[in-house]
Amino acid sequence: MRGLFRWSSKWWPGVVPLVLFWVIAAWNNTVAVETDLAGKAASAVKDIVLDKVKISADGRDIDFEAEAFSEEGRRGALTAVEAAPGVRLVNDQTRLVPESKPFVWSAEREVAKITLSGNAPLPAVKGKLMDVARDQVKGIEIADQMGLARGAPVNFEDAAALLIGQIGKLKDGKVTISDSTVSLSGMARDLGGREAIAAALKTLPQGFSVAANDVKAPPYIFQANKDPVAVTLTLSGYVPDENIHAVVLGASSRKFFSEKVVDNLKTSLGAPPGFVNAVIPALGVLSRLSTGTLVVSDREVKISGDALYEAAAQQIHAGLAKDFPKEWQVTADISVRPASAPVDASVCQQLFSELLSKAKIRFLTGRDTLDSDSTGLLDRLVETALRCPNATIEIAGHTDSDGEDTANQTLSERRAQAVLDYFVKAGLPADRFTAIGYGGTKPIASNDTDDGKAQNRRIEFLVR
Amino acid sequence: MAYMIAFHWGWLLASLVLGFCMGWVAVVTHARPVPRRWMIVLGVVAAGLVALAVTQVVPGRFGYWLDLLLIMFVPYLVGCAIGSQLRDWVVMRTAPPG
Repeated sequence: MRGLFRWSSKWWPGVVPLVLFWVIAAWNNTVAVETDLAGKAASAVKDIVLDKVKISADGRDIDFEAEAFSEEGRRGALTAVEAAPGVRLVNDQTRLVPESKPFVWSAEREVAKITLSGNAPLPAVKGKLMDVARDQVKGIEIADQMGLARGAPVNFEDAAALLIGQIGKLKDGKVTISDSTVSLSGMARDLGGREAIAAALKTLPQGFSVAANDVKAPPYIFQANKDPVAVTLTLSGYVPDENIHAVVLGASSRKFFSEKVVDNLKTSLGAPPGFVNAVIPALGVLSRLSTGTLVVSDREVKISGDALYEAAAQQIHAGLAKDFPKEWQVTADISVRPASAPVDASVCQQLFSELLSKAKIRFLTGRDTLDSDSTGLLDRLVETALRCPNATIEIAGHTDSDGEDTANQTLSERRAQAVLDYFVKAGLPADRFTAIGYGGTKPIASNDTDDGKAQNRRIEFLVR
Repeated sequence: MAYMIAFHWGWLLASLVLGFCMGWVAVVTHARPVPRRWMIVLGVVAAGLVALAVTQVVPGRFGYWLDLLLIMFVPYLVGCAIGSQLRDWVVMRTAPPG
């Protein structure tokens, strides 16, 4: 030991090459050590949920910047970096992700682009919402402008996913979550989209409420076009359901007795309230026109065309206010078709017979009130009567054999008189017409069958 | 420590070999020994450097370089001790009796 101490006093010359070794080692290894330690520190925190992670090494000391989503996560990340092999000191520059109050998230659609913005509580949630958007709205650019913040309401992810599903139903618009309230605005892509969104909002996670739903829908359109050349009534647009579809078709076939009904209607949700109560009278107006178009757009009804005679045009205008639901706006652009050329009495008789062979004048059961479905036919009959101004016309009422003869006689007279009154209101002189009731005395078919009875219940015109 | 050894084992081996050679030569060399007073001063300096390294007060790269210097110095000293001891045994065996 004593020798060792003595020899050690002669070891100093080796220190010179040792220092040289040290300089070379430091020169070569410093960057390598720093790179290696930075990598080890990064892999130590790769499974910990952090944002804005920045790790760099200065010698064996690590500068660690990150934003954590909880204090526990922040401490865990710091401990993991400190425990990485080779790390000497950690310069802690970690902090918690800022808390957002109110916590706002939104998704905005501009026809072919969806932008998700605002705050998400975790990177994983952010990624999942992007996946949901890509899945729900395929073939559209999805832009991620979301930041990260603490303070999200419970069930935020479920609520946001549900709202992303709804933005797929919008043509353009925005959905927003602000704390636990939800707001929507924009234009639905399809008819019924607004109703579908409203239904989906009822399934929002517990704790969420709808602050505003200002989603608008495209106009609910129903159209009818009466073409006198093709002798067709073309129905297009939408009806709310199959029942109303059947009601509209039934009313059309009764009111438009000589036209073929072309049905291009589709069913869709989103009809305005009172739809059927507006469409049926509107079809009644159209049936009185020689040519015309009916357009129903939401609660707005527009009817245009040519009435068969002047009084008909006036009656149509007068009836607009009372025949349609109150909340509806009705405009009619009605002109009067030029009068047809006069004809002699025999042609007039022939025209009456032709019209009545296609349809019958209808009355309410057991009463003398004209059925509104017959208004179109009555106008055609009036127009025919106008073409033979010199002829006198007998309006003959007939019933079937059911009931008492006197009652039938009276009913047939009153029904003939009702038709006469209609003609007089149309501007025809009353002295040209005679209303006669025959009761059931002149049947044209057997009263033993319902079909025969129906044929016997009739109004006839005899031109003299 | 384990990381430093694992990462710089080549340089530590080189220091050990250098120390061995220096120790081997030191037994028979006529070089002037370091005075006792200087030995004490150098020992104090070395202890100070060790204290700086242990307390990790030297930051960043300078801290790393200090650690590297000290950790290379250890195998050098070990090599010197082994070299000197072995050379001493060899000298003792080959020396004529008397």
